Amino acid sequence: MTYIKNRLRRTMMFVPGNNPAMVKDAGIYGADSIMLDLEDAVSLTEKDAARMLVFNAIKTVDFGGAEIVVRINGQDTPFYDEDVKAMVRAGVDVIRLPKTESADMIQKLVTDIENVEKEYGVEKGSIGVMAAIESAKGVLNTPEIATATPLMMGLAVSGEDYTADMHTHRYPDGRELEFARNMVLQAARAADVYAFDTVFSNMNDTEGFYRETRYIYELGYDGKSLVNPRQIPMVNEVFNPSKEEIENAMAVQNAISEAKAKGSGVISMNGKMVDKPVVEKANRVIETAKASNLIDEEGNYIGK
Amino acid sequence: MEIKTTGVAGTLESSDIQIMISKGDDGIQIDLDSEVIKAYGDQIKKVITDTLEKYGIDNAKVKAVDKGALDCVIAARTLAAAQRATETSDRPELGVLQ
Amino acid sequence: MIDHTVGLIDDNGKLVGTGSIAGNVLKYIAVTNENAVQGARFSQIVTALQQYLYSIKCYHSFVFTKAQYATSFSHLGFNEVARTDEAAFLESGTPNIDDFVSNIPNPYKGKNKKVAAIVMNANPFTKGHQQLVELASKENDLVYVFVVQTDASLFKTDERLNLVKQGTADFKNVLVISGGDYMVSKSTFPAYFLKSSDELITTQTQIDAHVFKNFIAPSLSITRRYLGTEPFSRTTSFYNQSLSSILNPEIEVKIINRFQANEQVITATYVRQLIKEDKLAEIASFVPNSTMQFISANKEALQTRIRKGMNINGN
Repeated sequence: MTYIKNRLRRTMMFVPGNNPAMVKDAGIYGADSIMLDLEDAVSLTEKDAARMLVFNAIKTVDFGGAEIVVRINGQDTPFYDEDVKAMVRAGVDVIRLPKTESADMIQKLVTDIENVEKEYGVEKGSIGVMAAIESAKGVLNTPEIATATPLMMGLAVSGEDYTADMHTHRYPDGRELEFARNMVLQAARAADVYAFDTVFSNMNDTEGFYRETRYIYELGYDGKSLVNPRQIPMVNEVFNPSKEEIENAMAVQNAISEAKAKGSGVISMNGKMVDKPVVEKANRVIETAKASNLIDEEGNYIGK
Repeated sequence: MEIKTTGVAGTLESSDIQIMISKGDDGIQIDLDSEVIKAYGDQIKKVITDTLEKYGIDNAKVKAVDKGALDCVIAARTLAAAQRATETSDRPELGVLQ
Repeated sequence: MIDHTVGLIDDNGKLVGTGSIAGNVLKYIAVTNENAVQGARFSQIVTALQQYLYSIKCYHSFVFTKAQYATSFSHLGFNEVARTDEAAFLESGTPNIDDFVSNIPNPYKGKNKKVAAIVMNANPFTKGHQQLVELASKENDLVYVFVVQTDASLFKTDERLNLVKQGTADFKNVLVISGGDYMVSKSTFPAYFLKSSDELITTQTQIDAHVFKNFIAPSLSITRRYLGTEPFSRTTSFYNQSLSSILNPEIEVKIINRFQANEQVITATYVRQLIKEDKLAEIASFVPNSTMQFISANKEALQTRIRKGMNINGN
């Protein structure tokens, strides 16, 4: 497995790193990314065992093509060094650093990864990093964090710890997270990295989950963190492009092909110039549509 | 590698295996409890024995309660228990698992 | 009594399971299987309780449960040590009962000799205990004296064990051994140490008798068990009944009447009363010299324990 900077990341499913049943089955639900957790989901006395389990799982379990992210323990814990070493040796796709508050922390992580890569002959740059933003300081420093390294995959808001740091807690309407959500998203977009929203843990409030997912989708987030596989199709449903969006995107791609065939550098559609952001958006729509089986191989719409 | 205390790793939950390793003086003695012992007992014991030998343990009493663990889980739990029994958990020997 | 309790909370914050630990015994386990895979929560609770024990370096645990739940524990690696119609006693981990008996010297294995056993708390060791051991020593080739290990008495475990060793030193065919977790211990027989209902005492004494019959006696070739009559202790009289009915006929149970001194039945209970009342001179006729010396040397410590609330009227 190797880190790929750009790919579909609508759903990032959290899986407790010391639970073999959940680790073994993680690949069958169709999550775009699987985040194996060595941090909060593992008690202090089980850190060593969880690390070994995750190490071996990454090496042997079939995760169905999902991207494998591991949340390691923080740099202020005695588990951090061995976590980094183990995950680099296992060949994880992305390492997620909890409680990120500065570019220095990310740069330390990248240096530590490089040292292990050197020691064990792993190709340099084959592992991406992502930052979990869980504090006021972290939120304010997102611009420097997002640009700390070319290996930055993305930023994730972590609502529970952040709201505690802000002297509040989570509310159904999410107003307490408004600033953090916008700040993280701005920093991510400015740095051309991905942005992930926090988890929604009340499994019984389906309506609330849809409301929050639609909201962060409209803001422009790339994906959402999940704790339960039942939430995967719900997120995909929100993130799926409509028939009109897909047809429009197909038209843009056809225009590109036409322009290429004509040897023209200018792409136009319906008499209007098509510029770079529009092309990129079209590509994202098509990629999402393909992943959700909304179009066939020829690009015909086959959704409901 | 000297066993200094009893080391346990793993749980009794589905797809896991609980491995308890304590001092022994007669090779690697495994007492295995598994619902799939007829079909997979030998394989489970082999993974445990191989992992311990690779780690450098030649004498140990092992009590294993299997709940349908994959080989990769068995090896990981065995190594975790062995490192706890030898009081070396702070220096994980992941090379044993490869 | 309870050292540790865990609760299992589901996604909605509802309590769906619980379990506790007392010493190394799993207790009060209850789960609801509503909205869950059968057995999954039970496994989680048992795992959590065992992990607590491992964290305090205890690798051996027991469970005393209704007979119908024994299989649930067997599925989690527990081995049944004894069972009655109502109850089952299981253990998990190491060192187990096989390790316990294999560590006891066994010079007459397979030699067709007369081997007997006595189990005593010896709180403290009296002339009554001494005469019982002497009688068994004369009637048999080898006598095992198992001293209760649980530390819940006025005289501490090592004090009781030492007094038994000193008081039986003259009998060359007597081996004094700690009863471990298997003979009148807090695990097998908590009612010995706590006020309990008749039903509970009966069940626990039966389990204790079965453990002795299933494991201890066969591996040490024990064919006789000596008991003292107990005119004052209800628990002990229940215990003697259970032993007689379960051990016979494979193991001969000999119930010996209490010995007397100064026309008074010798009991450790009375000795403890005299310690409390500071009547040391009266104690001398009831206990051997070694016990007397210990009591004289440690009078204040013993009296302090009583003042601090140590119950001296139980066993």
